[in-house]
Amino acid sequence: MMEKRVKRSDEPIWWALFSAGGVCFAVFVPAAILFIALLIPLGLLPAETLDFERSRGLLFSFPGLIFIGVVICLPLFHAMHRIRHGLHDLKLGRDKTNKVIAYGAAIVFSLLALLGFVLGIM
Amino acid sequence: MAKHVGYFPELKRNWWLKNRYFTLYMVREATVLPLVFFIACLLAGLYSLLQGQQSFQGWLQFMQNPITIVINLLALVASLFHAATFFTLFPRVMPLRVGGKAIPAKWIILGQWFGVLLVMVLFAWVFGRGV
Amino acid sequence: MTTKRLSIQRYLPEQSKTPFWQEFEVPFDDSTSILEALNHIKEDMDGSLSYRWSCRMAICGSCGVMVNGEPKLGCKSFLREYPGTISIEPLAHFPVQKDLIIDMEIFLEHLAAVQPYLINDSQDSNQTHKQTPAQLAKYLTFSDCINCGLCYSACPQFGLNPEFLGPAALTLAHRYNLDSRDQGKAQRMVQLNREEGVWTCTFVGYCSEVCPKSVDPAAAVNQGKVESAKDLLINLFKR
Ligand code: SF4
Ligand code: FES
Repeated sequence: MMEKRVKRSDEPIWWALFSAGGVCFAVFVPAAILFIALLIPLGLLPAETLDFERSRGLLFSFPGLIFIGVVICLPLFHAMHRIRHGLHDLKLGRDKTNKVIAYGAAIVFSLLALLGFVLGIM
Repeated sequence: MAKHVGYFPELKRNWWLKNRYFTLYMVREATVLPLVFFIACLLAGLYSLLQGQQSFQGWLQFMQNPITIVINLLALVASLFHAATFFTLFPRVMPLRVGGKAIPAKWIILGQWFGVLLVMVLFAWVFGRGV
Repeated sequence: MTTKRLSIQRYLPEQSKTPFWQEFEVPFDDSTSILEALNHIKEDMDGSLSYRWSCRMAICGSCGVMVNGEPKLGCKSFLREYPGTISIEPLAHFPVQKDLIIDMEIFLEHLAAVQPYLINDSQDSNQTHKQTPAQLAKYLTFSDCINCGLCYSACPQFGLNPEFLGPAALTLAHRYNLDSRDQGKAQRMVQLNREEGVWTCTFVGYCSEVCPKSVDPAAAVNQGKVESAKDLLINLFKR
């Protein structure tokens, strides 16, 4: 009983990633959505803005790596943290399982994005 | 735990529908759903860039699909709503002090919105360069 | 004289296992509080109605009830603020003993768990502890709590898991951790670091909204998260 009461939670790790991701979601993601998912597909910017060669050049560079970090990886951890706690709020599933799946997905897809980056610069 | 004699109703799954404040909380939490969609778009885009020109054209077409556009528009609204909530929470979680004096929350919130604007300008500059 | 309809959730365990609603038509003017209305009912209409109160001036923290679904102090809410029938229930997320009387045991246990008092075993601890106004300002707002429990009724995480230490207890822990005269932080951090310490909170924020003393427990709990995260880091480097 006593042992259980004093167990330290590992939540600080996930919370730190969630918070960093929250800042990115608020500061970097709006611009990313506006340009990449709205202005360019809608044709409101010249088509050359995001052609194949240019896109590769932009993404597979040092600024591109930062972009992957602040618009893909960290926001992913933010999203998965909220989804995990949201499931608890809705009394869906077991938290232990939800936790593994949610953070597991964030880790896997972050690594895939980084792998893609490495393949791209090679 | 002490033995509870009496009446103790369990909290129902739909508790967040019974109070406006709780509903807004759930909306805040749900802002990550369209975000996940947008991230999936980016991951697909990254993959298509590795696959080659043709695959990338396919991705561009997918991004132009009206349904994609609508969900991403929702994601933009969600990100701004998230920003509004996150920016007001920040000075409460980490009250900043300069020389023993607390910086007014209003300034910190404004500063963060300035950051959003700055990133927009940065994106405009990056994409606009040499076009 | 104008009257207002109050719909009160009654629970009489010796008569029935389930609660029921009872309506009362009470006279009121601009200064009639919910608590006064309850007193009127008990004196003139139905003596069996049970509820807690004492100071009737938002100091003792004993008169908390749900008014139209929101946690309120009966003595600090007024009939004039509510158009239509007013519903009165016992505070949410607590076991009900009778009518509007809740069992606060778990709340008191959580308060005790964080050792909400000055801990100072230093040599000069029998001396007066001096404190500058700046040191006082660090925790002052967090020390206004009257232990009314409204924030627990406003907290869905406590509703979902009563083992969660909850807003008031965590705020009190933070209040003593911030006190320059205190040396008990290490002991309290053990409680804060637990899953059911600060980490059950998802910053819903409604606790701060309903607090009758503007304590802002949500801010305290989340500052506690920062402290707990720091505590983890320090612990990693110490090994
Ligand atoms: S923090 Fe506020 S709402 Fe919570 S018990 Fe204290 S006074 Fe009541
Ligand atoms: S009667 Fe004391 S706080 Fe209301």
